[in-house]
Amino acid sequence: MRDYWLSKLFFDLQDPAKAAEYRAGREQVLARYELEPQVRTAVETDDVAFLAQRVNPYLLRFYFLVAGMSEEEFLRRIRATGEANG
Amino acid sequence: MAELAGIYAASHGPLIVRKWNAVTPEHRQVLTSAFTELGRRISAARLDALVIISPDHWVNFFIDNLPSICVGVGATHPGPNEPWLMKEYPHTTLPGHPQLAGHILETAFDAGFEPSVSHRMILDHGFCIPLMKAGVDPRLPIVPVVFNDIEPPFPSVRRCYAWGEMLAKAIRSMPGDLRVGVLASGGLSHSIGEATMGLVEEEFDRECLAHFSKGDPGALCDFLTQRLPQVGNGASEIRNWVAAHGAAGGRGFELINYSPVPEVIVGCGFASWNPVSR
Repeated sequence: MRDYWLSKLFFDLQDPAKAAEYRAGREQVLARYELEPQVRTAVETDDVAFLAQRVNPYLLRFYFLVAGMSEEEFLRRIRATGEANG
Repeated sequence: MAELAGIYAASHGPLIVRKWNAVTPEHRQVLTSAFTELGRRISAARLDALVIISPDHWVNFFIDNLPSICVGVGATHPGPNEPWLMKEYPHTTLPGHPQLAGHILETAFDAGFEPSVSHRMILDHGFCIPLMKAGVDPRLPIVPVVFNDIEPPFPSVRRCYAWGEMLAKAIRSMPGDLRVGVLASGGLSHSIGEATMGLVEEEFDRECLAHFSKGDPGALCDFLTQRLPQVGNGASEIRNWVAAHGAAGGRGFELINYSPVPEVIVGCGFASWNPVSR
């Protein structure tokens, strides 16, 4: 099942202006989305494994590019989700 | 009536453009040669219009409303939206072919398909990378067709094959003397945003290509129906190749090149079909 508002946040950040605003300060952007508290915490802490269970993988990958996580770090974290799942 | 003058398939993938400089010289040469040959075949077909089947990478559609298949009927289509691609392929719009698109829609509804319709379909990298890299004349009118290869539930492999058969019928019943091509964009194996990200599954790709070469649509559909859920999510785009195979009547597949290219994290495939006259 997809988390609608999380997906919507990631989708909207494809707009370069919104992405720039988000990079400048996440708080005011996140306030516009009805994120569950644990989902918001996962966004704030870049919890790739948690978020990966709730959004489309393409949007997840795109989001962490926008959010500024390096490719190497994203790969390390997303691959770790497979190791954790056995 | 119009003629189905050429059927083609090509991989895409943002890194083919965005990280081109990181691709090894050997793989750059392979990809350049494959795209060039694809472009040569498209040019030689002297097309009046090109139907392109590609996924939508969350550009036109969201989970608010996610069509399985959508046909772009606009007189023009906005060009790439991705900033990194706009620099390399600076077309704000590409021409459409509303008459052909409308005829495809009419034929689809008559045949029991219910695609959705877009009067303003943005052409993301799935559409634009093959056009750019193959050097297709940007004045060539495009009918974009989106297959949902990105977010489940997906159209069934058999339905995609049938859609391709219907597409060929639509083109061949289009009044006038148009020469129309079909280009499937996407695949082969790749994995995006999931635990296997970056994995190219060469064995799967080669088995898949062998099925296209054998031409047996039933065996191809069985193979993909069984295997697609087991491989990386990007392989879902092979549905677009299946539609091209359907348009070709399941025959005439010719592989231009296949190369697993880890730098662009895609099993890169290029092919054409010799259309079967009916």
